[in-house]
Amino acid sequence: MGRTFAQKALERASGEKDLVPGQIVDAFPDLYMSHTASWRCIRTLERMGWPDLYDVDRIAMVMDHIAPADNAKTAGYHALCRDFAQRSGVTKFFDVNAGIAHVVLMERGLVKPGEVIIGTDSHSTIYGALGAFGTGVGFSEITATWVTGKLWMKVPESIRVEVDGPLARGTYAKDVMLRLIGDIGADGATYCSVEFHGSYVEAMSVSERMTLCNLAMEMGAKNAFVPPDATTLAHLDEAGADRGSYEVLLPDPDAEYRQVERVDGRSLVAQVAVPHTVDNVVPVTEVAGTKVDQVFIGSCANAKYDDLAIAADVLAGRTVAPGVRLIVTPASSRIMAKAASDGIVSTLLAAGATITNPGCGACAGVGGAMADGEVTFSTANRNFQGRMGSYHSSIYLGSPATAAATAVRGVISDPQELLA
Amino acid sequence: MRARGRCWTFGDNIPTDRLVKTKYVVEPMEVIVQHVLEDLNPRFPVEVAAGDVVVAGKHFGQSSGRAIAVKALRATGIGCVVAETFARTFYRNAFEVGLPVLELPGVTDLVSDGDVLSVDVAAGLFRNETTGVQREVPPADAFLLDMLEAGGLIALAKARPELFADQVR
Amino acid sequence: MNMVEKILARASGRRSVEPGDVVIAEVDLLIMHDLSGYLTSRVFDQQVGGQVRYPERVAMVFDHHFSPPTEDAAAMLEANREWARRTGTHLLDCGNGNIHHAVVQRGLVRPGGIVVGSDSHTPVHGALGALAVALGNDSHAGTVLPYGKAWFRVPETVRVELVGTPQPGTTARDVALWLVGRIGEGGLIYAAVEFTGPYVKELGFWDRWLFPLLCVDLGAKCSFVEPDEVTEEFVAGLPPGAPDRYERGDGGDESTVLRFDVGEVVPQVACPPTVGNLADVPDVAGRPVQWAELGGHAGGRLEDFRAAAAVLRGRRVHPDVRFNLVPSSRVVFTQALQEGLVLALHEAGATWFPPSTGSNQAYNMGAMAAGEAMISTHARNFPGRNGSPDASMYLAAAPTVAASAVTGTITDARGLR
Repeated sequence: MGRTFAQKALERASGEKDLVPGQIVDAFPDLYMSHTASWRCIRTLERMGWPDLYDVDRIAMVMDHIAPADNAKTAGYHALCRDFAQRSGVTKFFDVNAGIAHVVLMERGLVKPGEVIIGTDSHSTIYGALGAFGTGVGFSEITATWVTGKLWMKVPESIRVEVDGPLARGTYAKDVMLRLIGDIGADGATYCSVEFHGSYVEAMSVSERMTLCNLAMEMGAKNAFVPPDATTLAHLDEAGADRGSYEVLLPDPDAEYRQVERVDGRSLVAQVAVPHTVDNVVPVTEVAGTKVDQVFIGSCANAKYDDLAIAADVLAGRTVAPGVRLIVTPASSRIMAKAASDGIVSTLLAAGATITNPGCGACAGVGGAMADGEVTFSTANRNFQGRMGSYHSSIYLGSPATAAATAVRGVISDPQELLA
Repeated sequence: MRARGRCWTFGDNIPTDRLVKTKYVVEPMEVIVQHVLEDLNPRFPVEVAAGDVVVAGKHFGQSSGRAIAVKALRATGIGCVVAETFARTFYRNAFEVGLPVLELPGVTDLVSDGDVLSVDVAAGLFRNETTGVQREVPPADAFLLDMLEAGGLIALAKARPELFADQVR
Repeated sequence: MNMVEKILARASGRRSVEPGDVVIAEVDLLIMHDLSGYLTSRVFDQQVGGQVRYPERVAMVFDHHFSPPTEDAAAMLEANREWARRTGTHLLDCGNGNIHHAVVQRGLVRPGGIVVGSDSHTPVHGALGALAVALGNDSHAGTVLPYGKAWFRVPETVRVELVGTPQPGTTARDVALWLVGRIGEGGLIYAAVEFTGPYVKELGFWDRWLFPLLCVDLGAKCSFVEPDEVTEEFVAGLPPGAPDRYERGDGGDESTVLRFDVGEVVPQVACPPTVGNLADVPDVAGRPVQWAELGGHAGGRLEDFRAAAAVLRGRRVHPDVRFNLVPSSRVVFTQALQEGLVLALHEAGATWFPPSTGSNQAYNMGAMAAGEAMISTHARNFPGRNGSPDASMYLAAAPTVAASAVTGTITDARGLR
């Protein structure tokens, strides 16, 4: 019987052979990502009496969640992390000006095919977009891994998702994922490795693949995976990852999958996750006309360069509806640079957007908070009650195009109507 | 407009930021009042008693014109603030919210922390009962004293709407 | 009568006024930011009530928040929005810029009028030939909102004449800071301060702006630059176009005159704990900073970003420094984009933030931990204003801020190699 990607990746990281789903192994991850919460790891290390670190080069710290600090306490946590990074020789330290951890690491060649990467962030599944095994863990586990270099993992079952395209106009990877999450539910892939295949996946950019793998978390996936191909390698070359430094792992054609899901991209329409769960998904037509107070284009799901370009296409020559606040938070500093150099920032600004510094921004609850009764349309990946401020506010999720169209009209709108 | 109580001394150029820190500005007054001037003297918000007198140096209450800083000081129950000079927004706010203040050049040399002071703002009279030193200054403009007497500007405007409503003064 | 006296006489319906008179005068514009607006509207609703007499003369600007970090902040802004909608006042929501820059760019400040506001730097609008005074919430809630009027004591006027040419590399901001040190904090309490003299007359509008701005630190009530062709050209370029009135003094009044030669000024830094604690940059050079920021009432101007870009050409922000750039208005952000400054400074390692008042009071950004230090173009440096009371804020001109961002220590831009 052939092996899935997850089996191969965990075999590589554990040095064991012939793993089967359900088996527990000690894996040695290639990279340990921790964000602003790194301060907790450092405090734990302090309580342990500063034990030696297993391999400081595998530690990556990114100050993305509350950036810059909003009070003296958070500023203290940042200072603690900076100081630790300097003292311990953590070279993969990225400060409050860099952007969202996942995106920063992926654009700088620090995430590579075949690697096992753990992160103190549930959306670490995103690393699958470059053919890595990425999964979210708690900060205690990260701390333990800093010291021991290893982490126990259960070998997951795998789900194969086939997405055929091309996608209908006005639909994107976000719509594919929302439809899928709506179909199989928030627990539909619990503890599974989700592999994406099919003609659309093969044709899509790394940016769109990142959206797929990021959102896989919202159906419970342990990790996600898109088979590396020429598109992946071109991205890695540009990001500075040496071709000799990684090994592409592909599932065998006869690998065993728990289930196969299919999404037909050609007949897709824009999808919206309505309050207050991500799997509460309807076609945009069902909620079109719902009034919004705020539109947020941000997060590791949809604030990459391509996402901003899509939003700018919709917003070009138009303005945000009166009474609506459009907040755009580029995912990284590099994305901000590219968007500033080719006119996207100008277009968004002219339309009336407020462009914030790169980072997690409102998605991590810093910025874009809502008062009682307010409504936000967001490109992020979560819409749980109270996630953006008041418990009595609402979040709708959709693609950057749907978000931009909604900002222009002031009510939830199908982007098809505004795409030339 | 008369106060008699313990003297609390503070220095020059005390900003409103230190009277009420920014993070407390929108808190309820019961919370704010527990933190008034705490950075400069942690005992002050805890031990201040009704009628006490705050004595400060030059330019007291500079920086943000936040009336909340004056309201918080009033809410501690103090009877009066005496300073060498006041920042004008603080001085204005004091009359508008009904906190008696007296500008008395040289006052910092006349008091020690803990002295018992008595002040009559309407008459411009200052007396250090501990040392027996007394001073007199010209009282503030009658319009300001009317405001203080009425309990502040809002109360004055309610009592005498003709001042603002009809023809200009 | 001088400009201030003429405006107060006209607005209070008198033929003339004299220093010391208390008058009740009609107000042309009340400006409030997100915090003072919240406190004022609450006082108005709870203690005064009724209608806002002239809603078109009231503007609320959300500048301490560009994207509220907490539910409580969001609730405060929403309460403000609801109040602005209900009363019909102007609302400049998050992302429009620093309160003073935003209302000027929006064309709400008119020469010859009376501008009041809770923000203590409201006197800055004297740069346009308005009488601008910071009042308290109770004046706003008690008389400005219900009657469109406020009480004023007519101030004595002090004329500050600036002559001479500053040393190369010394900016208007350095001269303004230096003046606070020379005159002293609280040195001109209750006065109206007129800035004049050949040095001031030669300055462009946004450099003149820095002088009325500092008058609050001198303790002054208001400040102004008598309108001239520079003012007229600037105002004519604002949205409603050329104004229908200017007030100018008759001349010959007997003000106190303070004359300063700016030829001796070198780049300045205001050190904690107060704005008047000034040092020449070389005397404090070498002190470490982890943060640098262009923004606030005194910064975030196009002039500041140009100066920073000049300093950073061929250089990068030091790895241990976070350099924040906060445009003072959307107009400035757009101009900076068009001039290529946004990209140039971003690529040099600085981070752009939405038009706002930036780290001022650390509501949306700019909190520091104990032991950290920031150098900025902001207007205030009192301990505890930016997070920990044990953090330090240094105030300086844009070139000094940018040069310090490059080296990670307070640095004189003139000597940067």
